[in-house]
Amino acid sequence: MRKRSLIPSSLIVLLLIIVTIFFMFPIVLAVVNSLKSQGEMFKSVIAWPKALQWENYKYVLTEVHILRSLYNTFIITILSIVGIIFCGALAGYKLSRTPGKVSAFIFFLFLSSMLIPFYSIMFSLIQVASGLHIQGSVYRLPLIYIGLGVNFAIFLYHGFVKSIPRELEESAQMDGCGQLKTFTRIIFPLLLPITMTIVILDILWVWNDFMLPLIMITDYKSYTLVLLASTFFSEYSTEWSYILSILVLTSLPVILVYLVFQKYIVQGIADGAIKG
Amino acid sequence: MYRALKTKPWISLLAFAAPALVFYVIFLLIPTLGGVYYSFTDWNGLFRSYHFVGFSNYVEAFTEDSRFIYSLFYTLKYVLAIVILQNVIGLGLAVLVESRMRTKALFRTLFFMPNMFSVYISTLMWTFIFSTAFPQLAEKTLLHFLDQPWLGSSSMAFVSILLVSVWQGAGYLMVIYIAALQGVPRDLQEAATIDGATPFRKFLHITLPMIMPAITICAFLTLNGSFKIFEVVYALTGGGPGYSTEVIAFNIYQEGFARDMRYGYATAKAMILFLIILVITVTQVAVLKKKEVEA
Repeated sequence: MRKRSLIPSSLIVLLLIIVTIFFMFPIVLAVVNSLKSQGEMFKSVIAWPKALQWENYKYVLTEVHILRSLYNTFIITILSIVGIIFCGALAGYKLSRTPGKVSAFIFFLFLSSMLIPFYSIMFSLIQVASGLHIQGSVYRLPLIYIGLGVNFAIFLYHGFVKSIPRELEESAQMDGCGQLKTFTRIIFPLLLPITMTIVILDILWVWNDFMLPLIMITDYKSYTLVLLASTFFSEYSTEWSYILSILVLTSLPVILVYLVFQKYIVQGIADGAIKG
Repeated sequence: MYRALKTKPWISLLAFAAPALVFYVIFLLIPTLGGVYYSFTDWNGLFRSYHFVGFSNYVEAFTEDSRFIYSLFYTLKYVLAIVILQNVIGLGLAVLVESRMRTKALFRTLFFMPNMFSVYISTLMWTFIFSTAFPQLAEKTLLHFLDQPWLGSSSMAFVSILLVSVWQGAGYLMVIYIAALQGVPRDLQEAATIDGATPFRKFLHITLPMIMPAITICAFLTLNGSFKIFEVVYALTGGGPGYSTEVIAFNIYQEGFARDMRYGYATAKAMILFLIILVITVTQVAVLKKKEVEA
């Protein structure tokens, strides 16, 4: 029996086309116009460039240190993720396995902090960060991301660990494995699916974050990609051919990663929400 | 080995939780408690000393700061619009994508793509669209309806902010709704078809109740997220024209960093935002959870 659909199929195709145009045209226009001169753009934004103007990109690449910002963003993201996974998996696993009031209280402590808006802690966080000399350092900024992101990781690990049978770790400990060894050898590999989800959600968060770098990074050398784009925009406010080039350059890494890993990313988003 | 077995449970618990607790306490708990404390002071980013002023920041926010009150209601208006739009469109996209199996993966990939960009970057792309592309298209093509003061008038700026937010975020909800739709048992659908139910009635009476948990989650995500909207306003309108598009987060940011750097007062406003989010999201989850049980 054929499945009857909610909407007739010709209408579906039409709707799909319209929606595709809506989602794609800003990206397409940004890319196409980043390859035009300013004058050509003002003649027509939708025309295909007569000759590809790589000069815009050359100019941007010589004007700003985009590779350094790429490196900064990369380091901040990697260190934050490693820290969040390390702290989150250890704590989430043990909190899930330990009965009793102390465990429940600690879990509640992490859980209850998830609704706090960043703005409520922003100003005292600046004070804490400057006290610890974290402001502006690419290698120390991840410490803050770990502090802000570990609660959600613990929440997801805590739920996932319940689906792992206890017998595995009990028999490992019978065989003489210490608790830490049991965790690293037996448990952590089993947590891989939820680890993937957390990694994906946190990469998207940290890589694309604007607010924390905006208030924490003052040194041009430590700029992240998004921060670099924002400074560039305030300097070149209407020279769109340059601005669009930098937008394309800063977005290129995420889009490439997305096209390669999109299956996992989409899966990770859905899992993160449904298990959460 | 002997020692490992004898370790008291709470000691090993603390050992495992310690790394997370250290980061959490330093960068979340202390700043939160500090925030609560500072909201009762006249702490100023420019000076080291500050005084305890009781509830006067909170009183000032509600009685003297008409700009803050405006941003409060403006944010509520935005939240209401975006929660409805985002969920209706997200679910609509999911149904649309799911209804053609052969092209499903392709369109899911395309519709989700805007989500990969930093909100700030997408907003800049849209700034180009609103300021340069739309006016030109309105003038030179048949798309005359694009001739709008997209960022120039406060009512159109609201539309523009919604447009960017939907463009950026609808794909995220779509992905969650697709996962939920796949969980609806096929035999239930087929049974209803045999009983002569129209596709619309099937959607209303089978699909919708079955995906109620996903609706609860998505409503929570959009509520919680939209109250904190900042980047779109920051990059697209800068709160303008005037301060007509100023949302709470932007108002707080301006109070702390742009105007007189009144950190204490800005934090008090942020605490008000926190309480609003807390009350509304807890109510929402409680109400929708009840619906799940009934369904």
